[in-house]
Amino acid sequence: MICSSETEPAQIVSPVPRRHLLQTSESLHWLRLGELSDYDGPARGISPASVASSSASAFPSSSASKRLSFSALLEHERIARGIRTSASLRRDPSDNRIDQGAVRRWVRWMHKHNLKAWVVPSAIAVSTWVKWSIGLGGYSGHATPPMFGDYEAQRHWMELTIHLPIQQWYTYDPRYWGLDYPPLTAYVSWICGQVGSWIDPSWFALEASRGTETPGNKLFMRATVLVLDALVFVPALYAFTRIWHGTRSSRTQHAALITLLFHPALLLIDFGHFQYNSVMLGLTLLAMDAFAVGLDFVGAVLFVLSLGFKQMALYYSPVVGAYLLGKCIYLGPNNGARLFIRLALVTVLSFIILFAPLLPPFAPISALGASISRIFPFARGLFEDKVANFWCFTNVTVLKWKRVFNGREVLLVRASAALTALGFLPAVVGLLWGSYKMRLRSPSPLAREQIDAPATPITHSIPFPVPTPTLPLLPYALLTTSMSFFLFSFQVHEKTILLPLLPLALLLSGATPGEEVFAWGALGNVVGVFSMWPLLKKDGLGVQYLAMVLLWCRLIGYNPFAMRLHSFVGLLSAAVHISMGLLHLLELVMAPPARYPDLFPVLNVLVSTPVFGLVWLWSIRRGIEVSWAMGGLIGSRADAKDKRKEEEKEQRKEREREKANSLSTVDSVPSLSGSGIRKDAGTRAQSLGFASGQDVLRGRGYRDPRRRALERLSTRAGNGEEGG
Amino acid sequence: MPNSVPPSPKHARWPVIPEDDVPEQPKAPPQSPSPWAWLNIWKDTTRSETDLLLFSTAFKLLLFPSYRSTDFEVHRNWLAITYSLPISQWYYDTTSEWTLDYPPFFAYFEKLLSIPASFIDPGITHLRNVNYDAWSVVAYQRTTVMLTELILGLALLRFTRGAVAPFRQRILSASLFLHPGFLIIDHIHFQYNGFMFGILLWSILMARDGKKLASGVLFAVLLNFKHIYIYLAPAYFVYLLRSYCMSPSGDILPTRFISLANAVILVFAASFGPFISMGQLPQLLSRLFPFTRGLNHAYWAPNAWALLTAADRVLLRLVRWSGMNVTVHEQGITSTSRGLVGDTVFAVIPNIKPIHTFIITIAFQMLFLVKLWRAPNYKSFVTALTLCGYSSYMFGWHVHEKAVLLIIVPLRRSLLAADSYAYFKTYMIASIAGIFSLFPLLFTPAETLLKIVYSLVWGVMVLRPLYKQVYEFPASLPWVLLEQLENAYLAGFALLQAFVLVFPTLSGEKPEVEFLPLMMTSVYCATGLAWAFIRLSIIYLKQQY
Repeated sequence: MICSSETEPAQIVSPVPRRHLLQTSESLHWLRLGELSDYDGPARGISPASVASSSASAFPSSSASKRLSFSALLEHERIARGIRTSASLRRDPSDNRIDQGAVRRWVRWMHKHNLKAWVVPSAIAVSTWVKWSIGLGGYSGHATPPMFGDYEAQRHWMELTIHLPIQQWYTYDPRYWGLDYPPLTAYVSWICGQVGSWIDPSWFALEASRGTETPGNKLFMRATVLVLDALVFVPALYAFTRIWHGTRSSRTQHAALITLLFHPALLLIDFGHFQYNSVMLGLTLLAMDAFAVGLDFVGAVLFVLSLGFKQMALYYSPVVGAYLLGKCIYLGPNNGARLFIRLALVTVLSFIILFAPLLPPFAPISALGASISRIFPFARGLFEDKVANFWCFTNVTVLKWKRVFNGREVLLVRASAALTALGFLPAVVGLLWGSYKMRLRSPSPLAREQIDAPATPITHSIPFPVPTPTLPLLPYALLTTSMSFFLFSFQVHEKTILLPLLPLALLLSGATPGEEVFAWGALGNVVGVFSMWPLLKKDGLGVQYLAMVLLWCRLIGYNPFAMRLHSFVGLLSAAVHISMGLLHLLELVMAPPARYPDLFPVLNVLVSTPVFGLVWLWSIRRGIEVSWAMGGLIGSRADAKDKRKEEEKEQRKEREREKANSLSTVDSVPSLSGSGIRKDAGTRAQSLGFASGQDVLRGRGYRDPRRRALERLSTRAGNGEEGG
Repeated sequence: MPNSVPPSPKHARWPVIPEDDVPEQPKAPPQSPSPWAWLNIWKDTTRSETDLLLFSTAFKLLLFPSYRSTDFEVHRNWLAITYSLPISQWYYDTTSEWTLDYPPFFAYFEKLLSIPASFIDPGITHLRNVNYDAWSVVAYQRTTVMLTELILGLALLRFTRGAVAPFRQRILSASLFLHPGFLIIDHIHFQYNGFMFGILLWSILMARDGKKLASGVLFAVLLNFKHIYIYLAPAYFVYLLRSYCMSPSGDILPTRFISLANAVILVFAASFGPFISMGQLPQLLSRLFPFTRGLNHAYWAPNAWALLTAADRVLLRLVRWSGMNVTVHEQGITSTSRGLVGDTVFAVIPNIKPIHTFIITIAFQMLFLVKLWRAPNYKSFVTALTLCGYSSYMFGWHVHEKAVLLIIVPLRRSLLAADSYAYFKTYMIASIAGIFSLFPLLFTPAETLLKIVYSLVWGVMVLRPLYKQVYEFPASLPWVLLEQLENAYLAGFALLQAFVLVFPTLSGEKPEVEFLPLMMTSVYCATGLAWAFIRLSIIYLKQQY
């Protein structure tokens, strides 16, 4: 950025904190849009120096000290008072009534007793402990010959990869758990198989080892999940808290890390049921981290790896693609095109490398075809078992799809594909449109002229390290797309709910109880675990289910049975939790009637699906709010360019005036309020409040000081409720 | 209480000190004390306390499917005995090899537990259903352990109220509730120690609050649950006699003496009465005190005898190597190397008989009891209690390694009473060595990770904050050296654990060296425990009360 050419001393003394990416939608970029935000105040205690620095963005021309006006000082004085009030409010004992969650209490305790450095190691150690002890329980397909379950599938892949040449991996006996995951899983299986057969060859003897369930083998398999998780997912989470929560306090970062480390659904499926989802999710998360620090190529490669580990990551791909494409748009025709070509090259190349052993020089082309047809089986039915998605839900409640479309399954597949696409469209469009709205323009002659002007976004000359403005939208978009796939797509398994749950948990991780994001995140995650209850019950993981839900709810400070009836989500969660409890009780005391052996799974679907649908809708709404807060909605700033031109004109005029009278500080005040900047400030502040999950006007929950300040600006006329 | 009472412990008069954490609700103004007021624990339970309770519950739930020792079947069998047999046959039944060998209160307790058990799954209480391990019985028995352990939690909660040093008191209470010892022995290995120590702590709590009669009665009850606590009885006897039954000047207060004696006799009558009336007392006692076992348990409990046995092995090597003319007991050569259950016979050192261990134990205990007699207050009592248990552990006949809890648990209470760095260091050494000595109980690979990680995290959470609070710089060179030596000893545990983990792979599981890791563990832990014993004895004997 050019502003570095003349860094304000005030910036050094009291730097203006950068907003983090998750909780609010004010990205750095947004704050630097000088012509949009009339206030760029600091969130921490104010000093005269920082007043000068923060007013710099309000005053487009550089030397702020010269232009400091009394009214501006007054303005900041008031903001500062507001901040202090809110800070003292937080320390108010009445605030202690809000359960902040055991994580925060523990982290506070650790920090207070000089154990700050131990928080992360201990948290990881305890989560490892919990993961391992979940693993003491049953797993998918335990002692159920002849086919067993996911555990046997994974073990079988280790067996076949170490004994067969690569070309036969996808063709060997497909009826008995033939390999149907992409090559990276196969490679990892090969490594695990090699290590395992070094320990005990009988675990992975070809054919002879089918159905091996010795304690030693179980121990080894569990250990592979734990090690891969520790290698991929845990570092990804740590990086996530460091990057996405980078501007927040270390306590919040620690709390977020712990919230994510004990995510019940993922832990139960990976370490109980037995799968390697955390590797796929961890790779996607690492890609997100890479995007956030501007390493787009690394991110693209990581996402390809994620896809190469489990094709399920395709659920994320529309949004990841849209994000990268959006970045190309954002960078403008020249830089964007260059980035696009590079990204395309990198992606294709990494796919080729990943599939290299199955490609022509090493194998006939049919090997690739076989693997593709194994990885994407379109021959199976619309849905398996009882999945809490749209198809199964409507199958029970409205009409029997299979009967109606008997013989015309192709139609059904198309319908599901169309619905899915429709489902993730808002996310994709939001990302692309947001990037388009905020695309960088080549520096105008005027901007070149006043090249020393700080905080003018037009003059970004080195675009790559700057976070893309659409970054805050990314988690919501990921949630939208994966949830839409879960709800509407073809051939969904109940474990697939893990994919939408990850972005939901990420969003939740930085939120405090009382926020809307928190309420939805916690509800969605608890219902997500609940929707897998039939599966977990089958695996003999009932106690683990109970323990993990208890543990996690207490950790994040979520009391499912607390009545929060003042909001829609509160009402919804009360109803859902009560019905969940009743369902569990019912299942405990009575056996399902002989006529409906699937009664409980069906009831489970009936409870879960509406929640998932609402989470999906909520994610779309939040996406719209966030994009509005970022750059305005479609049409709301249709005349942005003209406005910008006007402003530039005005600035030029002002500069001339300034030259004429270098001490005309009084004159500058009307220039601040008169240039149309304030016009939409009220709506914007409100939308910003909404976007960060708060009901600003009604004033509930903890408010970000900056948001309070913004609100003060907007409701200066005296919207009485906000007395401070 | 009348005014002629000997000076009751200071603690009884300490006001409730407010917590640093803001309690869930502001303290209510003192209301008229209801006799059941102490039962209302939720009234002023802080959020962090609820957190700890819920987390430990979640952890214990996760441990349901973990490894179970034969003790699990022992207790299941007792459920079956007490449920399906009339009381007259409880101590005669030999259907299973795991006969009932706990005092009658425990048998009644099992009878109580067996009623819901048979309702849940009749198979549990079926006498012939030996080695029954359906999910129902596992879940049920593990749940009873969890629920009865709440007695311990309650006692600890009461300890944190009205403590002298709230921070330290709370962290120690929490650490005791989440102690790796309980996790390993109760929730994995399977026993009811949490429940038992809960009663013991209630009794100590009563002593702290000046209700000495209640303290004595509770201890009598505890003795009738599990007679291993008889190791602690001398300290109780002296303390109650001196501070409750006698005035400070040394005059006996007959009414008090009689009321205490009556109460204790009543407890024993309730327990043994039915069996005495049936004339089964000799049979019962022969079950409770089987003097047919050897000096050491299968895995040597890390006490003085473990050190002596190890020394014997070394001497044997030495004798053979130098060709000295020392009589070597041939029987001893084979006996101790494998550590089988049975009589330990030394090869070089003269053999130890039960009477020897008995005399040594009593001699050490007398040392502390004399001190207690001179200073009969709460602080002194708790330390003496610890030391009584400690000397029995160090020198007792056929001590089981699980008995190390007898040291660790009361030691924690005595640490509260005196809060110097010397105490803390003693406690630290004894805790670490004690917990480590329990590791061989869980030999299955799946639980190895669990016990190590849990103990490490526990150590960091408990020892580090305390260490920062009480640390004192060693005053002179010998102390610096000692401190360094102790730290080196503690660091050695990491090496030892690495050795224990790696050794079976390296040695190729040869039967003749199989016992080596266990022996090393035992000797290493015994060194630390013996050193902590010496430290604590010196501190106690030198301290002015």
